[in-house]
Amino acid sequence: MEFLANLSLGFATALSPMNVFLAFVGCFVGTMVGVLPGVGPIATIAMLMPLTLKVDPTGALIMLAGIYYGAQYGGSTTAILLNIPGEVTAVVTALDGHEMAKKGQAGAALGIAALGSFFAGTVATLIIAAIGAPLTRLALLFGPAEYFGLMVFGLGLAIVLARGSVLKAVIMVVLGLLLSTVGTDLETGQDRLTLGIGELSDGVDFAVLAMGVFGIAEILRNLENPESRSGAIAQIGRLLPTREELRRCFGPILRATGIGSVLGILPGNGAVLGPFASYAVEKKLARDPSRFGKGAIEGVAGPESANNAGAQTSFIPLLTLGIPPNAVMALMVGAMTIHGLIPGPQVMTKHPTLFWGMIASMWIGNLFLLIINLPLIGLWVRLLKVPYRLMFTTILVFCAIGIYSINNNPYDVYFTAFFGLAGYVFIKLGLEPAPMLLGFVLGRLMEEKLRQALALSEGSFMTFVERPVAAGLLVLAGAVMLIAVLPAVSRSREKAFQE
Amino acid sequence: MRGKLLQQDLVAGLAVVAAAAFAWWLARKLPGGAGGGMGPGTLPKGLAVLLGLLGALLAASSFLEREGLRLRRWSLRGPLFILGALVVFGLAVRPLGLSVAGPLAIVVAAFASDEVRWGETLVFGVLMTAFCIGLFKFGLGLPIPLAPWLLGY
Repeated sequence: MEFLANLSLGFATALSPMNVFLAFVGCFVGTMVGVLPGVGPIATIAMLMPLTLKVDPTGALIMLAGIYYGAQYGGSTTAILLNIPGEVTAVVTALDGHEMAKKGQAGAALGIAALGSFFAGTVATLIIAAIGAPLTRLALLFGPAEYFGLMVFGLGLAIVLARGSVLKAVIMVVLGLLLSTVGTDLETGQDRLTLGIGELSDGVDFAVLAMGVFGIAEILRNLENPESRSGAIAQIGRLLPTREELRRCFGPILRATGIGSVLGILPGNGAVLGPFASYAVEKKLARDPSRFGKGAIEGVAGPESANNAGAQTSFIPLLTLGIPPNAVMALMVGAMTIHGLIPGPQVMTKHPTLFWGMIASMWIGNLFLLIINLPLIGLWVRLLKVPYRLMFTTILVFCAIGIYSINNNPYDVYFTAFFGLAGYVFIKLGLEPAPMLLGFVLGRLMEEKLRQALALSEGSFMTFVERPVAAGLLVLAGAVMLIAVLPAVSRSREKAFQE
Repeated sequence: MRGKLLQQDLVAGLAVVAAAAFAWWLARKLPGGAGGGMGPGTLPKGLAVLLGLLGALLAASSFLEREGLRLRRWSLRGPLFILGALVVFGLAVRPLGLSVAGPLAIVVAAFASDEVRWGETLVFGVLMTAFCIGLFKFGLGLPIPLAPWLLGY
């Protein structure tokens, strides 16, 4: 019954007119920006974060969550209509979705994507509500040593799940950890690695880093590879899938919801892997696998559902443990910090309306996505016709205003430019910035917990061996890292990522 | 041998080593912990050493690959004008306000693309800035200066 009581508290909060309005605005602008090619969810959230600065914390998080789903969904719209995946997860959708669009079935593809996402989102919301409370209670029992172990384990998993070379992923995580040590030392108050710049003594701002390596660097990359956007936009046709199509998609949506929900909780690329895994599974299970890649509706329904389920369950580690599993959730940490909230198990105990309100708003957000996307497709399509030279200048000014407004500090704009350059160099050198962001955001927490644990044990590292949970987690972390570099596994891992 | 030098992993590895060395140099004066404890310098220095080793490993691994990815062409125009636009915005926003910094940043940024058109950019810059002022200043009430030289805020 606690489950129902919590959910009803959540809905009471989320259904207040203001919060419904914020969820709607979030989904709307999120979709609007997400539709733009080359603007992924991370850049979208970073760019739109200032919109939430003046809202109360609950409303701000509800709106940001809406922006996130909107951006995810917007990416699939361009994938289907134009074969331009707005973000990684939509790559799979583009395979069959765009083929359907070529056959004049774009509407059906968009429709099933929206319906599948809605179903997956509903299930994922229930999962979060169900395991949120028990996980939080477990997390409250964790001491600093256990927390440290858990975060090391999380980083280990993130490295294993990262795309591309394991070594490069490790490098980026360590670089992120190193960046997180910039600023005043927690205990002695000494400035570390600040180059004598006073503005750096509070450390590097998370939004600044994310906006630089994702937002600005994306603009730079797009300027270099002008997309051939001449492709005529296909006829959309009817939006609602036929009964036959629905029947065929029922199984894939169900399986994808399961796959996506589980993978979404994992740190690192978890949520991104969902659509790929679902596509592979459906292709294996299909009676006629050759239809895939030629406009099979299951190839749209599955990955889209998995995508949405994963996008939502990735909130679980953030909301219950205070550990962001990926870069998007790391941005949520940034947003929470701006509003004076420290992510962690105490969020649920101290701010139950915020916690449950946000969870309930996820379902409302999914409903809005359905309402916004189906009738407004025409509007999004028109947005795609805006030339890129107008688009990137607009994005840039929004970024500049947003970054300045977070602390009202012009230095943040300069730092963003610096990290934009760094992001451009990363692209050129084939280094993926997402693990760095995760290392950065976990770095501060890890150092804090490590030093707390050592203070409690009076400087003895034995505390990590003597405490069984902490030791177990560290051993697990070592094990996953070891497995990742085993030749056999790394080969099959490479194969999995190629598919 | 010239081909090797342009290999992506080799350059990436060396760049990582350089970054690690720079971080270590910055942290060189920070005290490490006494005895078993940790000081402010323990983590930065430790991580810098680890990063340097990993970078060296990446650089070394590039020699094992028979045909690694080559570095692709770097462009100067995009980074120069996009980053320049941000710096110009940062410099102008406090003394001159958003009403000047906005169009200025848009005009500078527009040069990053070779499709730049003067007239369109100017009109668009002014309109976009007006929209941003309406949204961020009046709609959301963010305390960003508008035109201190004219309005005093």
